[in-house]
Formats: sequence, structure tokens, C-alpha cells
Amino acid sequence: MAEAGRLTATAAPPLRALLRPVTLLRIAIIVAVLGTWELVAASGLLYRDVVPSLSAIAAALGKTLSDPSFYLHLGTTFYEIGLALLFGGASGLAVGLALGASKLLARAYEAFLYYLGPTPKIIFFPVMIMWFGVGAGSKVAMGAISCFFPIALNVAAGMREIDPVLIRVGMSFRANPWQMVSKIYLPAMRHPVINGLRIGLGVALIGTLLAETKLSNRGVGFLVIQAYSLFNMPQMYALLIVLFVIAIGLNALIGRLGGIDEIKRR
Amino acid sequence: MAAMSTPSQRLAASAEAASARPILVVDDIVKRFETPDGVLTAVDHVSFTVKPGEFVSLIGPSGCGKSTLFNVIGGLLDGYQGSVSVAGERLAGPHAAIGMIFQEESTFPWRTVIDNVAFPLELAGLSKAERYARARHFVELVGLDGFERRYPSQLSGGMRQRVSMARTLAASPKILLMDEPFAALDEQTRLLLGDKVLQIQQELKQTTLLITHNITEAVQLSDRVLVMTYRPGRLKREVAIELPRPRTSEIVSSEAFGRYVAQIWGDLREEASRGLRDDEKHKRASDHA
Amino acid sequence: MSAPSVARSRVLPAVLGWGTLAFSIVAIEGLIRAGLINRFIVPMPSEILLAFPRIVSEESVLSRFMLTIAEAFSASFLVAIFGIAGGVLLHRFNLLRQATETWVAALAAAPLVLIYPLYLVIFGRSATTIVMMGFTAGLAPTVLKTLEGLSATRRVLVDVGRSFNLTPAQQFWKILFPSALPTIFVGLRLGLIFALINIVGVEFLINFGGLGQLINELAERYDLAGTYAAICFVVLVSVCVFVLMERLERWLRPVD
Repeated sequence: MAEAGRLTATAAPPLRALLRPVTLLRIAIIVAVLGTWELVAASGLLYRDVVPSLSAIAAALGKTLSDPSFYLHLGTTFYEIGLALLFGGASGLAVGLALGASKLLARAYEAFLYYLGPTPKIIFFPVMIMWFGVGAGSKVAMGAISCFFPIALNVAAGMREIDPVLIRVGMSFRANPWQMVSKIYLPAMRHPVINGLRIGLGVALIGTLLAETKLSNRGVGFLVIQAYSLFNMPQMYALLIVLFVIAIGLNALIGRLGGIDEIKRR
Repeated sequence: MAAMSTPSQRLAASAEAASARPILVVDDIVKRFETPDGVLTAVDHVSFTVKPGEFVSLIGPSGCGKSTLFNVIGGLLDGYQGSVSVAGERLAGPHAAIGMIFQEESTFPWRTVIDNVAFPLELAGLSKAERYARARHFVELVGLDGFERRYPSQLSGGMRQRVSMARTLAASPKILLMDEPFAALDEQTRLLLGDKVLQIQQELKQTTLLITHNITEAVQLSDRVLVMTYRPGRLKREVAIELPRPRTSEIVSSEAFGRYVAQIWGDLREEASRGLRDDEKHKRASDHA
Repeated sequence: MSAPSVARSRVLPAVLGWGTLAFSIVAIEGLIRAGLINRFIVPMPSEILLAFPRIVSEESVLSRFMLTIAEAFSASFLVAIFGIAGGVLLHRFNLLRQATETWVAALAAAPLVLIYPLYLVIFGRSATTIVMMGFTAGLAPTVLKTLEGLSATRRVLVDVGRSFNLTPAQQFWKILFPSALPTIFVGLRLGLIFALINIVGVEFLINFGGLGQLINELAERYDLAGTYAAICFVVLVSVCVFVLMERLERWLRPVD
């Protein structure tokens, strides 16, 4: 390993990055996975098209990304997720603040949130449909109830971790509740809040998309289930790739914004 | 692992020890480290020996390289010049005849006291009954009888250090190597544990090398005290402690004790203030950087 | 603590919490009866309560429950084996860890459940799809927690092992693994929860299996009270499993 280090020390910088053992291993793994995939695809071992060739997937990906109607569906999904985060996030923030501020409220209600959190929210979908119709409303509602819980719990926990002296400073300056929240609590809690937001985005995404796969005629989730029903496998893979890239990308983005190295707890 | 010896065997061994060859030979150790600020010499040509049955303390200010020496002698560090030999055998990794007691909390939190102490016996392949019987002896030796089935989390810091001690002693090491085992404890507990250590050492005629920064401890427990300089660590002085044995913690109040402490403190103060000046210099340099 | 302060700190919040719940239920009942809430959208709590025994007897809730639990067990079993093995592997081979840890972390945060249509194609509408989905969802967090636990072994304990000249295998089984066990259990709990959530969710989505399917069926039959009752039941089960897991974890950790 040391010899490799000395070797790379003399190479040009970008080449040096490429020759690092970690990078080499990563490339090797990716090549191995893709290679195995292509082999399985070509061999016809599995039922035809369950493992389509990489070129077929690439073609479908290209077709999807160049299709204007795809972006309409993508827009719908983003719109739904955005609204879900707005409603779920705002209510989560409010409830979290209340629970964090009052020990009584926390002892009374937080356990409910804590134990209701890990339930599969998609089972509430029929109820959401009844209340909000078959359109975007029910999807937004799904996303909202999904992200409400992690945000509320993270905000409440974050409030309790605020250095008490900061609160005393605010009170000594006789700040009103709104000022306390906006000038002291929220800035002091930005890490737990951002972490809660990151998790909230993740589950809102899942909730909304799952709802779309169940009952919708718009959105990326709908496109996925449509590809399934038409047995258009390359298209399904292409859509899943796009979804995952977006989801992982957003997660990393928020994490970066919030300084993810300091946010090691989940 | 050496088998437990009988009292008469131990008596014969201690008679031997008085005129014996050293059991631990530390020969011209030089250990350097690469740091972002350049090469740091932690230990600079340190040599000394320890005879069987002796209690030797190595004392020095913080940053004098004594923990480095601890790790070198314990076989946990390599890449040094010079050699360490135990009973004539040169060191190549942790030597079976050396038992180490670390400064930090080192009991296994998932094992009971008796299972902790029986650990080296377990490694040696003894049956459960056999190793529990032997371990119980060492648990009693450190004064924790009755606590065999407790978990470390249920014990105080001082008690946990005693468990670590019992565990190392259960391996019947020829040489006990301790790195500031009482550093995390308060002064009174320290003194009492020091008593315990003295008692154990006298009973087992255990060869011991203690690394410490505490002068009282060093003088109370040792036959000889080796004083180290500040970095790069060298041996500054060797002080033979001619206080009568057996000793107890009451010795702390004697005049002779006070004189030894003062002498060593004089040496250490010199080294410690060098250390302080050095730190200030570094701090100022990094502030300007 | 004095009696009044005990009352204030323990009894009052409990009363407040459960009281609010009870009050809301009664209030909703009242509002529906008064016609202020549409009873064809929100059934009366009393009706929901009555639906419980009905669906238990008619819809073989018990066997459905067992099916869901069996799926969860299979998924958890797979998660435990591959998750812990994966974490151990990554810990053992540092280069592999450096190369893939961020990938695994990304997967843990990714919406893996959206793969379910893919599994539908591969495994059909069957229990295999559901178990595979649970396994996929629970794998990454378990791997990460196992890795975290092993890496967080206190340095001094590793040194103790080295000072006794332990072989690598002894070092692993006698020091690293026991030290990591609490964190591994946290990982298993997370893995199980992720698996269960995905299992029930996918049962609902593909209309196959145990409890999740029950909700879907009742909804498609427009059995309002039944749907609500089934949802409540599933929530109850989920909460119970969660509480059980916490108790189990605490019982297995007498050392902290």
C-alpha cells in the first residue's frame, strides 16, 4: 500500500486520483456488477426481459429523459412532494416546538408520536382517498403524514438539546415567543431540524410515490406501475434509475447543506 | 503462561532475585514519530533493567514519552531502535511473560467480574470449574470477593481497575507492566489501591514496572524510581528508595518519604517547566500561522 | 419525591395524553351523529369498534396476522444473516469498506420500496416478493450498524486483546463482537422495523399476504368501518412489535 502511495505521488494529479486503491476497487466492483448483468441478460437465464441488456436500459433512459411528457409527470411528483413537505413540515415543526418547549406536553403526547412513527403510512391511503379524492390531494396527504412524524420528533429532540443558557439570554432580553422561536430556537437547532428535514424528505418521497403507484394517472410512480403493467422492463429500470438518482442526490444535497459530518445520529 | 507457584517456590525465587540477573532489559530504545510538524523523538536512548521481584517506577512530566515506552515494552508498538528482552528473550510483539494494565477503563463490560478475571485462563484452555477456582483466588486478592457475579457497570471506577488488575494477575505474568492505572481515581482511592498493590506485590513477589506521573505513588510503591526528562525522553536520574518494607500508605507521612518526594519533585519541576515553555512556544507559533 | 409532585410528573401527563385521545374519539362520535362530519367519509368510532369483532371472525385476522409475522420473521432472518455478515466483512476488509460504505449509506436512505414492481415481475404476486422486499429494505441499516459497532470498539479493549496475544479469530469473537453486540441489536431492530413497514406496505400495494392485504380488500369493498378497524388493528400490531423489540433490546443489554 505504501509503495502504491509512492508510485502515485509521482503521477499527475487527476491520474493520481484514479490510481488510488479505493477508486480502483470501486471501478472494479462497478465493472464486475455491470459485466455480470450483461452476461445474465445475454444468456437468457431468467425469464426474458427481467434482466434486459444494458443497451436496452440505456436506450429507454435516453428516450425517457428526452420525452417532454416525462417532465410533466416529474413535475407532478415534485409538486406533490413539495406540498407534502410544506404541510407535514410546518405542522411537524409546530408540534415539535410545542413538545420541546413543554415537558408536560412532551410527557403526554410524544410517546404517541414515537410509537406511531414506525407504522407503514401507506395503509392510511384508502382513508386519504376518501378525505381528499383520487387526485393530487390524497398523494400530498400521504406524503404529509409520512414526514410529519420524523420532523416533529427531531424538532422536539433538537429543542431539548439547546444549551439552556441561550434560552436564558433570550428571556433576559424579554424576547416575545415569536422572537424566541425565530432568533434563538431555530438557529440553535438548525442541525436537528435539517436532519429531520432530510429524513422527512426521504419518507415524503416514498409516501407520495407509493401512493402514485397505487392509484394515480400522473406522476413518476404512475409511470413505474404503467411500465410494469405493459411489461416494459427497460422502461421500468430507466424510471427506477432516475428516481434513485434524484432521491440519493437530494439526500446528499440536504446533508451537505446541513453539514452532514456533524449529523451522525439518525 | 507460567503456572502458579507454591509459597516455598516463591521464597526460593526471591532469594535468587537479590543477586539475580535482570529479568527485563530495556536496551537503548529510540522511538520517533512522524507528525505534521516534523519528526518527533518521543524516547531518546533509554536503557534500564529490572531485577526479579523489584518494583520500579518510571516517572516523568506529561509528554515525556513514558506511555510510548509502555507500549514498546508491552510489545504493542514497533518501529523503534534498540531492544527489549524478557528473561533473555528478545521481544517480538506482546510477550507472554509481560502482563499489561492500562490507564483507561479496560474491563470487558459484557462479562461479569469472575469472567473478566478468568479471561486469560479461558485462553489457556482451562475447564470452567478450574478457571473459576483460580480466578476466585485473584478476585479475593484484590479484595473484590462477593462481587464475582456483578457486571463492571455495577462497580465503581476503583473497583473496575482492581478487576483489570486481577485479570492481568490471573495470567501469572513474570513482569507486571502498569500505565498510570490510578490516574482516573481520586487521591484517597489511589492511596488505598496503592496499599492493595503493595500488599499484592509483596505476597506474589511480583516484578513490577509502573509508569506514572504521580510522585507520591512512585515513592510509596517502588524500590527504585527512574526519572525521565521532558521530550525527547531520556533517563534523567535513578533514585533508590530505601524505605523499609513492608510498607503501608502511612509511610506517606514519614520524613524520609518527604525527602524523596522533594528530590524527585525538584527534577520534575525542571522538566515540567521546560514542557510548559515548549507548549507556549507551539501555541504562539500556531496562532501566528 | 413527594406525592403531589409524583402526581404532577407521571399521572398528569398520562391523563392528559390518553384523555385527549378519549375526548377526541367522543368528540368525533358526537360530530358525526350531529351530521357535522360526513358519515360516509368518517365512520363513527362506535361503528369502528363494532367492526373489530366482525373482521376478526369473518376475515380470519389471526391467520393473516400469522402470515404477516411469518413474512417478517423470514425477512428478519435473512437481514440478520446477511446484514451482520456484510458489516463484519466491511469491517475486516478496510479497503472494501472505504470503497463501499458511502454506497451502503446512500442505499439506506434511498426509497428502496419503489423496487416492488420489479420484484413483482421477478417473483410474481407471492409471499416471496414480500419477503424479498422486507429483506432489501432492512439490509442496509443492519450492515451500517454492525460496521459502526465493530469500529467503535474501544481502543483499550483491542489493546487488552493484543497484550494477551490473541489470534485474529479470538480477537474478533472475544472482544470485537461482544463489544459491538449492543449496536448490532440496534441495527437489527432498525432492520426489522424497516422490513416490517415495507412488508405491510407491499402487502397492501400488491393485494397479497396478511394484514396489509386485509386493509386493501376491505377498502375495495367499501367497508368503511371495517377498513378503519383493520387500519387501527395494524397500527396496534406495529406498536406492539416496536415496544416488544425495545423491551427485548433492554433485556439483552444488562451491561449498559
